[in-house]
Amino acid sequence: MFEQLVDGIFWDIALVVFFAGIAWRIIDVMRRPGRNDLAVPRSSGISGAIMANIHGFFPRREIAPRIRIQVIAGYMFHLGLFVLLIFAAPHVKFIEEHITGFGWTAMPYAAFVITAMISFAGLILLWIHRVLDPVTQLISRRSDHVATLLVFFVMLTGCMALAETSTGLRLFHRFTVELLMIYFPFSALMHAIMFVPSRAYTGSFFGRRGVKL
Amino acid sequence: MAIKKNSKSARMRKAFYFSMLSLFIVIALPLIPYAFDALAVDQNQNNAYKPVALEDPAINLWNNVRQRNGDIEGTSQVKGVDSGILINKTGEDWRRFRMEKLMPYGAYVMAGILGVIILFYMVRGTNRLPGGRSGKRIPRFTLNQRTAHWFTAGVFWLLAITGLILLYGRFVLIPLLGAEGFSVTAAACKEMHNLFGPLFLMAVLAMFILFVKDNFPRLVDLKWFAGGGGMLGGHVSAGRFNAGEKTWFWLLMIFGTALGISGLILEFAILGQGRNVMALAHVFHGISALILISVSFGHIYLGTVGVEGTLESMTTGYVDEAWAKAHHDLWYQEMTEGSEAVVSAEKTPASGITQSGIASPDTGG
Repeated sequence: MFEQLVDGIFWDIALVVFFAGIAWRIIDVMRRPGRNDLAVPRSSGISGAIMANIHGFFPRREIAPRIRIQVIAGYMFHLGLFVLLIFAAPHVKFIEEHITGFGWTAMPYAAFVITAMISFAGLILLWIHRVLDPVTQLISRRSDHVATLLVFFVMLTGCMALAETSTGLRLFHRFTVELLMIYFPFSALMHAIMFVPSRAYTGSFFGRRGVKL
Repeated sequence: MAIKKNSKSARMRKAFYFSMLSLFIVIALPLIPYAFDALAVDQNQNNAYKPVALEDPAINLWNNVRQRNGDIEGTSQVKGVDSGILINKTGEDWRRFRMEKLMPYGAYVMAGILGVIILFYMVRGTNRLPGGRSGKRIPRFTLNQRTAHWFTAGVFWLLAITGLILLYGRFVLIPLLGAEGFSVTAAACKEMHNLFGPLFLMAVLAMFILFVKDNFPRLVDLKWFAGGGGMLGGHVSAGRFNAGEKTWFWLLMIFGTALGISGLILEFAILGQGRNVMALAHVFHGISALILISVSFGHIYLGTVGVEGTLESMTTGYVDEAWAKAHHDLWYQEMTEGSEAVVSAEKTPASGITQSGIASPDTGG
């Protein structure tokens, strides 16, 4: 019963909410009224947008020493999660069977363990830092903690189900993934998509004024 | 006629002798090698005859299979570590150690320490600050130190719980979950344990780098031990870390490293280690883990309900001035001599206002 729900209707609902929610959020941002910039641009807004996106991957020199943990742990977590999502053997199999119809070479078990370890270390460090640092304490909301916990549980249940010895563990993982997919569009997790247009907007705004970011 | 009779008798006699010789040769011929062998044995043993013991070939075969006299490596078409050993003798030794020593004694030690702590708390209660809080706070741990501490603590307890489930789960969880339910739980715990294990080694390394400076033994530590750490009444002096904290630090370093390295040997069985090495690594792993878990009960007790004002040093990074005077008076003197380390409570970062005094816990490092 639970297996049919998780593999069936829950999955369908999660997919619909995930994509419809993301589309709704993006359209909502696009429809916000913006002012027409009538001034003659000093520089290209497009190159400003591109440069802002590239520069956003590197911490500013002035503040780099103070945000070392956030930068290193941030890269550990995000890159690790991305690699796991795309190259973990069960994911490659799932994508081939349910989405693309073709697969690619999955990473070996030892590589999975090391990648998952790096990603977990990054996530835990980021969360501890969020809780302990007085500044991030102030700017964090409950939804930030919920999002962190959900991602943590998705990763944890994924690792628990790695041996693929139990249907229950696989269903547990898939269920947490479905919860995350439903929560995703309504939370700060949208930064996974919105960071590109957000940086582009700021970069374009300053780019037209000839300001280097 | 008589000549004919004699010649016939002579031919008969010859035929008889020939027949007897042939019969002797037929019977004796197969015995010739035995005769040579027997003669040789006799010569080797000063001609003293001894009976030859004929052993059942199956006895030798099974003795070799069981490896009663230690591991004997044979040959096999299967190429791999220990593939030439049919039955590993030390495996049984390891199994008996795990079942008859590690599990029961480990449980006794953990339960004993926990029981003593609970009893102590019921008798003594929380060790309150003499004279109450001062309202002034001193920076004690940096953000990096606190992050490393809680990271280590989180990973340690995740590993401890999953490890204890793997060690004692069959006795505790099978009656609750059933065999199949425990199988799923154990499989999940094993994966988690393998995944978070190497992180613990990294965490121990981070703890070493960040905390070793103030954890070297000093003479004052002997006095601290002699005074029972202040738990028996009276004041005992201490620097930034007292002797008990230093002991915990070095236990964590020694057994944490043993735990991490033995864990890597067990987890990454692709490095060419055999069963004997794995069994030995498991023994070290189990003993180190049970020691650390047992001692951590005391660390947690003293850091939370045992001593008033201790926990906030690891949550906010600050301690009350009264706490510093009461428990780490030498460190308090170092911190306050010619500096402005003491800040009033309302100016600490916990209240949202950062301060620019020395050694601010939130400047990292």
